[in-house]
Amino acid sequence: MIVLEAHDVSKVYREGPHEVHALRGVSLSVRRGEVLAIEGPSGSGKTTLLSVLGCLLTPTSGRIVVDGRQVDPHRPGQLRELRRHAIGFVFQQFHLFAALTAAENVIYGLNLRGWTGEKARREAERVLGAVGLGERMDFRPRDLSGGQRQRVAVARALAGPSSLILADEPTGNLDGESGARVLDLFRSLARSEGRALVIVTHDPRVRTIADRVVTIRDGRITHEELEN
Amino acid sequence: MIDLALKMLLDEKARFAATVLGVGFAAALVLVQVGIFAGLLQNASITIERLDADLWVASRNAPNIDFGNPFPERYVDRVRSIPGVERADNLIVWYAFVALPTGAKESVEFYGLEDFPAWHFPWDVVSGEPADLRRGRFALLDASAERRFGAFQPGDFREFNGRQLKIIGRTRGALSFTTSPIAFVDYRIAQSLAPADLDGRTTFLLIRLAPGADHETVRAEVRKRLPYNDVYTQDEWAARSRAYWIESTGLGLTLALTVGLGALVGVVIVGQTLYASTTEHLADFGTVKALGGGNRTVFGIIAEQATFAAALGFGLALALTFTLAPLLERLDLKMIVSPMLIALVYAGTQALCLAAASMSFRKVATTDPAIVFRG
Repeated sequence: MIVLEAHDVSKVYREGPHEVHALRGVSLSVRRGEVLAIEGPSGSGKTTLLSVLGCLLTPTSGRIVVDGRQVDPHRPGQLRELRRHAIGFVFQQFHLFAALTAAENVIYGLNLRGWTGEKARREAERVLGAVGLGERMDFRPRDLSGGQRQRVAVARALAGPSSLILADEPTGNLDGESGARVLDLFRSLARSEGRALVIVTHDPRVRTIADRVVTIRDGRITHEELEN
Repeated sequence: MIDLALKMLLDEKARFAATVLGVGFAAALVLVQVGIFAGLLQNASITIERLDADLWVASRNAPNIDFGNPFPERYVDRVRSIPGVERADNLIVWYAFVALPTGAKESVEFYGLEDFPAWHFPWDVVSGEPADLRRGRFALLDASAERRFGAFQPGDFREFNGRQLKIIGRTRGALSFTTSPIAFVDYRIAQSLAPADLDGRTTFLLIRLAPGADHETVRAEVRKRLPYNDVYTQDEWAARSRAYWIESTGLGLTLALTVGLGALVGVVIVGQTLYASTTEHLADFGTVKALGGGNRTVFGIIAEQATFAAALGFGLALALTFTLAPLLERLDLKMIVSPMLIALVYAGTQALCLAAASMSFRKVATTDPAIVFRG
């Protein structure tokens, strides 16, 4: 089942009199349980593509379909709704709330999705257990290592019903061992939980877990290959 | 539900403490200033409110109870015969100099009545009997006079305008706006203290109405019979006396400035700290948006922080104010902090903190959730 489709998506930024074409007619799709890696040099449009796929940016033209629902860029409420219920994010800088414990970070994300009370607590325990942090649930981010923080971020993205996980350089701030562990986690969770996973990365190790790899240059997909 | 707003606020204890202190001192400034102002204003009209009179007759254009002009005392007879008047008496409010044992002189404001008990005045007698005032050259002196006159005891003698009076007791809470201590003497003694001005003359007429008598009907008749005097109800006269001090001393303007400055200080402190905190947490707010929260969610976080800081700051302000109250009382400075004032200042504190928070709203409203993808 296809979770994410992008059809002929373009994004143009205006900087004064100049137009910057960040994306030019990008099309792709991702199925449930599939891991798609997006590679490309800096400034190639990877992050813009991830922002558009994640309903954080609206495309200048083209069509995005998430979980069978066509994204209407003129309805900010629908964009929020999709981010809340269909999409999970993992960021390079983790973006955990420093004032909250690991469990609270996950629960807060669930609260925004409408999950509260014991239901949210149980789900947080489940996903934190799944990422191997069952013993660290009451730790604050400042008391966790970089790898553990990223695993909390992964748990937050996995918590709830989101069918699509978008990860931006998830291993970018991690040492080799932690990075490998997070990638293993992604692979197994994508399979066992049936989530679609899109990873933007420079890290060649991502290829080891990706089903497909697309390369983007100057806002265009220039290369696509099957990996595993 | 995870209360992100509160946890973020409490996670930065130093900044939060500074915010609460700022709000607390600003709100305390307003409470104390307005409380002292209310206390001073009460002094300006407390004797009017405590005297059991329904109508007051004053000389034309008398500005307040402290500055009455003498008029013939026989006018009282014209009033006593009006239907609906239960009792009418002359009241003298005038000033004298009191010679102190130190050789210095201080002014005193004295109230002269023929029958103090009939008017339930003075209202808080610590020692002595008001009824005894008519028995000789006696005076009751308010305890607040000790600050100006030094210690005194019943049985002591003091010279009022060169005439010796025996102090037969003391009262409490009889203060004037002018800060002159208040003494109570018999009406004839009062006249004898300033014969040039008061011989055969009084400064006010007090009127108590018979049960069921109509204020306006009686007042109209008094005006007809005393066309060169002014007639006020108790409330009107109290309000006129207070208004005089507010307007003539610039006290109202000073108070407005103080309250305005207090509010401004509070707004600046809360606004500045919330804005700085918001700027530092832009990535957090971007994350909230990326996770599906809207502007309403992030406004809610900031607004909750502002209202929480306002509530705690106000609590601190109340504690400061009520700690200060007994100290002020020792200086004979009355501070009146009524439930209404507390409610108003609390509402004002909340409103101003929310207004200060709104400076941050624009900042987060324009925060692009895609900020989370930038290093």
